[in-house]
Amino acid sequence: MNPLWRKYFSQRAPRYTSYPSALLFDSSVTPAAYTAKLSKIGLYQPLSLYFHVPFCRRQCWYCGCNMRVENNYERALSYVDALRGEIRLVARGLGGRGRPQTIHFGGGTPNYLSADDLAGVIETVELELGLTDQTRLAIEIDPRELKTGDVRRLVGLGFSRISIGVQDFDPEVQAAINRIQPFELVEAAVADMRTAGVADISFDLLYGLPKQTLSSFKESIEKAIALGPDRLSVFGYAHLPQSIKRQRLIREEDLPGGETRVDLAEAADAMLIGAGYARVGFDHYARPGNSLANAAARRQLRRNFQGFTDDAAEASIGFGASAISHVNGLYAQNAKAIDIYKNQVRSGILPIERGVERTLRDEAIAHTIEEFLCTTETDIGPVLAGASAKEAEAIRQSLGELAEDGVIEWRAGHIRLADGAGLLARVAASALDPLEARNRVEAGRFSCAV
Amino acid sequence: MASKTCLGEQQRMGGPGVGCDLCEVRERSICSELGPREFTQVEKIMARRAIARNKAIMAEGEPNDSLYVIVDGSFRLSKILEDGRRQVTGFLFKGDFAGVRSTGASAYTAEALEDSHVCNFPHRFLDEISKDAPGVKDRLIARGQTEYHKAQDHIVLLGKKTAEERVISFIDMIDRTIGVDEAGDTGRRVVPLPMSRQDIADYLGLRLETLSRTLALLKKDGRICDLSRSAVTIPAQAVRVSA
Repeated sequence: MNPLWRKYFSQRAPRYTSYPSALLFDSSVTPAAYTAKLSKIGLYQPLSLYFHVPFCRRQCWYCGCNMRVENNYERALSYVDALRGEIRLVARGLGGRGRPQTIHFGGGTPNYLSADDLAGVIETVELELGLTDQTRLAIEIDPRELKTGDVRRLVGLGFSRISIGVQDFDPEVQAAINRIQPFELVEAAVADMRTAGVADISFDLLYGLPKQTLSSFKESIEKAIALGPDRLSVFGYAHLPQSIKRQRLIREEDLPGGETRVDLAEAADAMLIGAGYARVGFDHYARPGNSLANAAARRQLRRNFQGFTDDAAEASIGFGASAISHVNGLYAQNAKAIDIYKNQVRSGILPIERGVERTLRDEAIAHTIEEFLCTTETDIGPVLAGASAKEAEAIRQSLGELAEDGVIEWRAGHIRLADGAGLLARVAASALDPLEARNRVEAGRFSCAV
Repeated sequence: MASKTCLGEQQRMGGPGVGCDLCEVRERSICSELGPREFTQVEKIMARRAIARNKAIMAEGEPNDSLYVIVDGSFRLSKILEDGRRQVTGFLFKGDFAGVRSTGASAYTAEALEDSHVCNFPHRFLDEISKDAPGVKDRLIARGQTEYHKAQDHIVLLGKKTAEERVISFIDMIDRTIGVDEAGDTGRRVVPLPMSRQDIADYLGLRLETLSRTLALLKKDGRICDLSRSAVTIPAQAVRVSA
């Protein structure tokens, strides 16, 4: 790693899975505003559906998701009823418009729900929104919750993409994050999936977890590669004990330092590329021929709340507590609290709590940042054109510093991320974000920020 | 009638058995809008074409300069969605129209589901006769089923909330266009289904398995009397209404 780049690693940068960031959502977005957008969706416009299942049997201490440990399945059942009610409310708003193209179940632990209850949700989608055999169904699963026959049942329901939260295979690391999940368990789950014909298996791995060392993490990556997933995501663990209480259970002294985090991420990258995976965006990897790798090669990669994706739908509709929809420039987020969410659906109102409507200027910034993150290069003209003089100056200054340090190449109105600088992609993208760039310049440029 | 060898080739009017006087759809087609003088012109310029099964008269993204009247047979309308999937958007039967507007890039593909015949009218010619008969195109669109009507049908079907309703409405819709009375005065209707089950499932936004299950259910409870690969028999109107 270029020593000049070290100072950038301590930078916090938004994930840019949306723009503006969900942190900027406010209560100005109402159910009526969202319904108005739904009614403008085209008859055959592809829709991407996301279902949030906020329940887990056990608490993983690193988790930053909206979830709760739920031991009473009855409560999950009333949540499933709410999901089906919400589908009907959305269908009323759509009035027959839009064709679901992908359905993604995320969590929490989607396989906390029984296959029968998942089937009920899918059936409601089919009758209310329409489904065909080509609609892609994806689900995130916790292998500890898989019972005999579950994989077969999921495949029977039409799930063709399964993502497993692996995080790390090292027993000591697993103990330190309270997610004990032996290698053999994951191995058996993968074998079950392959037997059932699942051709797209994805692993999530995390670096920066407590007790991780370079050699232990390399061993985990090796084990992951040995199981032959079709795709992998390698995310950095964000330790935010101030805002995420459960993370306080992680001992700070067990966390690897900034330098080690870089080494872990770079080791994973080198090993996965060495094993023949194609790098997709800055934290996803896919086997050549996998649809995600193909999308990247054809420059059709997109970025949404699930990270990098080959899902081309412009409209995404989120169901469940805290789920975010994005329809024609409007971000609309459901109530985060499960009970508020359920009650609102029960009273027949779309459970929208907050959001933001993109301005034309936001659109330009959003597209520029997305293109940069998905292809590692972009023209900066549209962003500068919409920026105030002060913002434009801040953007130029930030980009100038990045270019000087060799993180990006900047020629005329075009920037490109330097080879090997994937870990800094988000930081570089934040230089294109007028808000971030101004804050940074006011705080004294990259080098002085914490 | 066109022989196998000239399928897909242009065939001038006037051959044995294909005269306009014998045309079954004439009353429903643009031809009924024409006076005798115009009709003589039409006969010179229009062409009846045999379209073999699976051949397209219009292709999505390609220019189209002609209006087509389906004389016999059936066509599937489809378009490729942004993600590469094919969406079946409608079906055209005898007397229906395709290519109502001249375009540099057709919004959909129209493929023959069986060996079919169409008459095609170049739009520049229609514009020519519009000078003498103002509004002829509008009257044409008002009287026939065009791709625009098909889009309306589709949104109505997709708005139905149960699989049974969707399937029954679909069968009724086809019955109104090409259904026939069953032989022997039973009062039942025989509704041809020239499209594949997959096409129907695609069109109705159902999975193939759900469609099969729904058809089986409808047959069991008598809303369908008989079901084969290429046709469905439904009860007499009176029975259907009272059901």
